[in-house]
Amino acid sequence: MSQDNAVSQLLDSRLVMVTGKGGTGKTTYAGALAVLAARKGLRTCLCEVDVQRPSLTSVFRVEPKFTPVRIQPDLDFANLSWDEALHAYIESVVPSRRVTNLILSNPVVGRFLDFTPGSREMVVLSAIGALVERYDLVVVDMPASGHAFSLLDITRSALGLFRSGPVRQRATELKGLLADARTRLVFVALPEEMVVNETVETVQKMRNFGLLARDPVVFLNRATLPSLTDAERALLGRLWEAPLDATQREFVLAGRWEDALEQATAHSQTHLAAQLGFGPVLVPPAAPGGTPKDIVEGVAVTLGRAVGLTRREVAWS
Amino acid sequence: MELIDLDAWLDRTRLVVCVGSGGVGKTTTSASIGLYAARRGRRVMVLTIDPARRLANSLGLQQFGNNEHRVDLSVLPDAQGELWAMMLDSRSTFDALIARVAPTPAARDRILDNHVYRHMADTFAGSQDYMATEKLFDIVTSGKYDLVVLDTPPVKNALDFLESPGRLVNFLDERVLKWFLEPAQRGGLAARLMQGTSTLVYKLLGYVFGDDFLEDLSSFFRDFQGLYDGFVERHDKVVRLFSSEQTSFVTVCAPTESSLDVAIFFQDELQKRQLPRGGVVVNQVHRCAGDAHDARAVLGKLAGTVRGDLPDQTVASVLARLGMAHKRLHAITEAEQAMTARLRVAAAGGGFYQEVERQEADVHDLAALTRVGQRIFRPASPL
Repeated sequence: MSQDNAVSQLLDSRLVMVTGKGGTGKTTYAGALAVLAARKGLRTCLCEVDVQRPSLTSVFRVEPKFTPVRIQPDLDFANLSWDEALHAYIESVVPSRRVTNLILSNPVVGRFLDFTPGSREMVVLSAIGALVERYDLVVVDMPASGHAFSLLDITRSALGLFRSGPVRQRATELKGLLADARTRLVFVALPEEMVVNETVETVQKMRNFGLLARDPVVFLNRATLPSLTDAERALLGRLWEAPLDATQREFVLAGRWEDALEQATAHSQTHLAAQLGFGPVLVPPAAPGGTPKDIVEGVAVTLGRAVGLTRREVAWS
Repeated sequence: MELIDLDAWLDRTRLVVCVGSGGVGKTTTSASIGLYAARRGRRVMVLTIDPARRLANSLGLQQFGNNEHRVDLSVLPDAQGELWAMMLDSRSTFDALIARVAPTPAARDRILDNHVYRHMADTFAGSQDYMATEKLFDIVTSGKYDLVVLDTPPVKNALDFLESPGRLVNFLDERVLKWFLEPAQRGGLAARLMQGTSTLVYKLLGYVFGDDFLEDLSSFFRDFQGLYDGFVERHDKVVRLFSSEQTSFVTVCAPTESSLDVAIFFQDELQKRQLPRGGVVVNQVHRCAGDAHDARAVLGKLAGTVRGDLPDQTVASVLARLGMAHKRLHAITEAEQAMTARLRVAAAGGGFYQEVERQEADVHDLAALTRVGQRIFRPASPL
């Protein structure tokens, strides 16, 4: 899929959930996509899911709360903590506030919910569902791919576990939300074998479990395509074989690393396309030493070009 | 500044717990430490969770599930000890745990068949973390190994895996069990007043979660009743094991803002919980000593000699490229050093500090693991 198509399709969705193996930059992409949506005039909510230390705080200079806070024009930011999501959830399924408090103040109930299989996932998913009702687009910074799978798969488990009652009904609704064509999953990957394999495995597993209404979008982060000619690579190889002093070695090694990264990008691109049936969207690496805000802004600017937004329109201070 | 002898640290340690965020080479670090110790003559078990397939293959782990698997070290003739590895399968660990603490075979079968248990074992948050500690305890106390290296799951909420046994124990707390099992059988005035609330809450739970579920849950509790003491005892032992003098936590990270943030957080948490901090390993570090060198001056002559039949044009373009690549490498190195300096200030007093350079290729065989191990065990500076 071309970058233009991918980004504009994502901005056409109601719910975009961003996941990936740890360390790939999924939080960065969630932030960048939310910024782009807001710049396009969509009422957008960006959320992190039950994190103790929200990682986008330094990017937007706001500590997110369960109730979304406005951080930029058309852009709100929330942290769906489990405790507050639980409160909101119980409120939404029991008739009166007094009864909600009665339930939640009972110590046994606390433990019961703390341990009941999937109760965390259910209430968090439910909170996401509630936000989707209120915004044009909700962008979720999901847990890393393994945990993201259990979060999405929870509707299936809940339908197995709860044979009647409002939880079952809610699980059915959430299953509908996940199966909606305007719900899209985004995977952020790196041109590294382990990351690419985990991406392929998670996508295939989600497909097998019927969790994907449409193909997800895969961003291959820090991607640089091969740029050396065969002759250049041959010379680099001969230099590497030659006796090198420390300084010379450093230069040759720098070149070899860049070439290896480029080859890895090409290989990852081919492998993802072959295994998934669609190709990744390539995004070049950020300049080293940038702050988290610089990095999110950089990705937003790059992806923004695909939907006709200029750097000036995307950047924020 | 006096350097820390990591060989001595390793020799007095019986359990190494590697913690850190995902994607920073935690499994590689765990395996490298294990292999290094085995070469020094220790009997080592590396307990890992879902490692990269090729690394698993290099350790001979394919479909071994919960089996202890001995890694063939015959290609390393100087290796005097043994290296064992095991890949965690949380479901079978949980089943084995139930089998061990259940009073009778019939009770065991009832639990294993219970609707709630079947879902819980598969899906409840943190079950994998809990099972890691459960299996670990088994392995450490088996007496078969004199060093165990635990590669922890990349948990989102830091040291959750240490608390999961506590959560299970809390859940099985007798008061909770009684509340579910005997909602209507309480005496005394206070209890009867409470009972009004409890009955209502129970009813409401039934309304929210469905009566069927509460029934499933009650029978689950009934079967679990006798297991409480067993869990509490094991939990206490696991906690003691983690805070023992022979245990050492190693925080693994990569030189990126987010990974270093997590590492600083882990070091803080370990200190707060008074858990023994071994030190920090920063993987995937770039190094570039030189600055402002001209690729033509450094390599021009050499490139001319080795170029052979390759055209002049190629020599010029490769030199230009190497100049740019070197400049970029230099910029990366400087940015990383600024970031790791921040870690070293924030984690001061937290054990050793070791950097491992980025490897030229993916680490997935014994030779590469040996190289990484040798890097880790150089004398390290203190934090």
